[in-house]
Amino acid sequence: MRLRTLTGPGVVAVLVAALGACSGDDGGVPVINIYGSTADAGFEKVLGPCNEAAAGRYVIRPNLIPSDADSQREQFVRRLAAQDDGMDILGMDVTWTAEFAEAGWIRELEGEQAQAATEGVLQPPIDTATWKDKLYGIPRSTNVQLLWYRTSLVPDPPTTWDQVVQRSEELKSEGEPHVIGLTGAQYEGYVVGFNTILSSLGGTLVNEDSTQPTVDDKTVQALEILKSLATDGLASASLSNSQEPEVFAQLQNGEAAFAINWPYVLSAMREADPDVAEDLAWTKLPEFAEGTPAKATLGGMNYAISTYSKHPGLAFEAAMCLRNPESELNGALDAGNVPVLREVFEDPQFQEAYPMYEDILEEMETAVPRPKTPLYQNISTIVSSTLSPPSSIQPEDTAQALEEKIQDAIDGKGILP
Amino acid sequence: MSTVAPPPTDAVDPVDEADEGLAIARKRASEGRRAEQRLGLMLCAPAVLVMLTVAAYPILYAIYLSFFKADLRQPDANEFVGLSNYVTVLSSPIWWTSFGVTMFITVIGAAAELVLGMLLAIVMHRTIVGRGLVRTSALVPYAIVTVVAAFSWRFAWTQGIGWLAGDGAPLTDRWPSIWIIILAEVWKTVPFMALLLMAGLALVPEDLLKAASMDGASAWQRFWKVTVPLIKPSILVALLFRTLDAFRVFDNIFVLTSGSNETSSVSMVAYNNLIRGLNLGIGSTMAVLIFLTTAIIAFLFVKLFGAAAPGGSEKR
Amino acid sequence: MTAVTVTPQRRIGWSVANVVVLLYAFVPIVWIISLSLKGDDTLNDGNYLPLNPTSEAYTQIFSNTDFVRALVNSIGICLIATGIALLLATMAAYAIARLDFPGKQAIVATSLLISMFPQIALVTPLFKIETAIGIFDTWPGLILPYITFALPLGIYTLSAFFREIPWELEKAAQMDGATPYQAFRRVIAPLALPGVFTTAILVFIACWNDFLFAISLTSTNSARTVPAAMSYFTGATTFEKPTAAIAAAAVVITIPIVLFVLFFQRRIVAGLTSGAVKG
Repeated sequence: MRLRTLTGPGVVAVLVAALGACSGDDGGVPVINIYGSTADAGFEKVLGPCNEAAAGRYVIRPNLIPSDADSQREQFVRRLAAQDDGMDILGMDVTWTAEFAEAGWIRELEGEQAQAATEGVLQPPIDTATWKDKLYGIPRSTNVQLLWYRTSLVPDPPTTWDQVVQRSEELKSEGEPHVIGLTGAQYEGYVVGFNTILSSLGGTLVNEDSTQPTVDDKTVQALEILKSLATDGLASASLSNSQEPEVFAQLQNGEAAFAINWPYVLSAMREADPDVAEDLAWTKLPEFAEGTPAKATLGGMNYAISTYSKHPGLAFEAAMCLRNPESELNGALDAGNVPVLREVFEDPQFQEAYPMYEDILEEMETAVPRPKTPLYQNISTIVSSTLSPPSSIQPEDTAQALEEKIQDAIDGKGILP
Repeated sequence: MSTVAPPPTDAVDPVDEADEGLAIARKRASEGRRAEQRLGLMLCAPAVLVMLTVAAYPILYAIYLSFFKADLRQPDANEFVGLSNYVTVLSSPIWWTSFGVTMFITVIGAAAELVLGMLLAIVMHRTIVGRGLVRTSALVPYAIVTVVAAFSWRFAWTQGIGWLAGDGAPLTDRWPSIWIIILAEVWKTVPFMALLLMAGLALVPEDLLKAASMDGASAWQRFWKVTVPLIKPSILVALLFRTLDAFRVFDNIFVLTSGSNETSSVSMVAYNNLIRGLNLGIGSTMAVLIFLTTAIIAFLFVKLFGAAAPGGSEKR
Repeated sequence: MTAVTVTPQRRIGWSVANVVVLLYAFVPIVWIISLSLKGDDTLNDGNYLPLNPTSEAYTQIFSNTDFVRALVNSIGICLIATGIALLLATMAAYAIARLDFPGKQAIVATSLLISMFPQIALVTPLFKIETAIGIFDTWPGLILPYITFALPLGIYTLSAFFREIPWELEKAAQMDGATPYQAFRRVIAPLALPGVFTTAILVFIACWNDFLFAISLTSTNSARTVPAAMSYFTGATTFEKPTAAIAAAAVVITIPIVLFVLFFQRRIVAGLTSGAVKG
């Protein structure tokens, strides 16, 4: 019968696979396994020189992790909780530092290592790698959103949110494309947007040591901004289902006059639609509180060394190489990773590819990390679901609900939506 | 096993003790029965062994965790809390909202899938032109990776960039979203139903249908009076497994709405607590509750279909 | 079969039905294919069909060694898991449909219960077991769970079919001196083919499309299957989705299934005729 012929070669194949899996480390050269960001375009250009620089003392082996942050964290957590020693360098989203450090999964960097990891690095990315005044990561890349607009529709770059809204309203009454693009879907990107508005108004989500929510009139004000954006017809009808690709598409297909999005928009638009790219311009995020520069929310990624790594010293060395100026420049040019090293911002090649570098640097001066707490994922999940959809926000009530639910999350009560 | 039909060799009157010949016959019968029992157990043993080896520990462990306060970040800090996780989940409106959504999707989805699946099965089974083409094509939706199919639906319904959306943004409203989720589910799994039902149809003897036809039964009557009773076991299995799967709907919602506008299913909520919140206690509790709900559904189905269930007593 | 009753009207009627089925299946599929053929410039234009089709995405995924390797893993793992699961399920289902033995209902109930437990809660303990015994990130590490979770469906489907088989033939064979095992292999197994092949298709597809285990129980390309590999695709930058590549990968990995189904659906017809003979 067919079934039996299937099992014959099957058993052989199983054995072969099992044997293949056993031959891990060989030749005695330590293998440094890196997880995260290794599927970036042009990563081999970064990896090759670093493996050469290792001069046979170790080999950096790139491993893939899923492309979305939730699945990445899930894999890391599962393996770290099991004290898996097969991971050495972890490419960590900036929001995981507190959680991983508190769980004891990543090494604190001290003394010379700490100094080397932070030398020549912009301060905001260092903050994202810091928890309770200790450094837990090598800052690798950073990011801040910008305000993008179509020059044909918006002749004067707006500096305040009110100007953005006003221009959008004018365009709407003229029957022109007028949408203000924002990531309003129920996911992390929505929390980034809300955190930016809230921080810019001078508010915060939780207090310094993350023991209490800090909901006040600033929160209500921030919610009012979101609410009116969603209900005044200035946002896309798809606002509550928009992530970065949708916001990008709204710019591309002529629906949006403005969009708040990351710097990748420029290179991506040149690729997707050169005509629109010609018409596209950017400026710093608008002031939400007049007279105070906006406080952009920091994105990016840091390299951490796993507590369970068998070669922490070599892993650190390898990670530093993957973060040296050449690597940073390559990552910026090929994969759109905004560097953390000051000197890369001065590189003419970088400046050519990132004509918005000055705005990025300026925003960096006031940028803020997302709440630093081991419970960040819980708080983020609660914020995005409580504020979804944006049109359902009732500023006072929603603020109160937010306060209660964040408190519950901090106390470990209740369930996540 | 009282519900199982006695094997033919068992047709001996046990009251008649006197007759020696009968006693011998009974002895032989019981030997035969023992051999049958041995064979039965031997045939089942490998399957049972594999299932228990792989699944028993994880399932029992999850049930165990549901009585603990447990966080994946602190594997050594588990604390026994009795039924408190269950109280927390069952008193949460979030749970019940998603429970309602899940039930709605399950009932409407499974009903639609059964009807459409039956129609598709009949076409696949009976069509006289291009049968191979139809049979193979009809299975393609089931073969496409769910996440990708879900993503293509999401893309298609997104205002401005999709071909289905037109001027509206249906995925930003609760009920349109739920209907789209059901559509995506149904589109994807009708072939599953149809395939199972078609294999059932293949076992319906042509003669029986012809005889019924000669007796003047209309196609409709033949379907209800001859075909349906004969393929009842197939219907049960198809409906059972589809319903159980539908109740655990995850991928489509995850991609289409991420659970916004109160479109979360119970599996989504469990995912958020288990994977995002790393709350093993609450997450396991939800898993157990989903498990219990599906067990009740399965029990109702098996009762409803009675003898048609595997291991049931009906013999032809 | 009954060629006498094929009238032109019936032919047209069935053709219409076929067209409806094809539309149902292919309207969304063509959209996925069309996404795979769209370039960056036309991706967001909302057209059902691509204006300037490009095969860039296909070139991209096939030059990705991880994807090719994942394809090999998928085919190997799923064929083996399907083969073993079918064999075990057939044996068990035969016993359940045919034989009387203690614990039968317990087995039926247990297998159903196993298939009902949300798998997401099982992943972490499974991961722990697999790392402990060293089969994490290997073929057996995926094959075992796939067999396990395919068995309940297999046992149920097959025992449902086996119950419909005319077992008088088996009795006849046994009277002719065949052992129950011989009777099973020579007489009943051929009759059971529609059920067996239907189950084969369902089990294979379930295994082929599994994402949860594939992503949780692998860490390198030595066992990673295609649905997991697809989630590792990255866009040009962090915030861009590789829509075309994902769509292309979905199209590519559907082809083996189509071949698998093409192959097995013929056997379903074969089963049908053999059934009709004895009918």
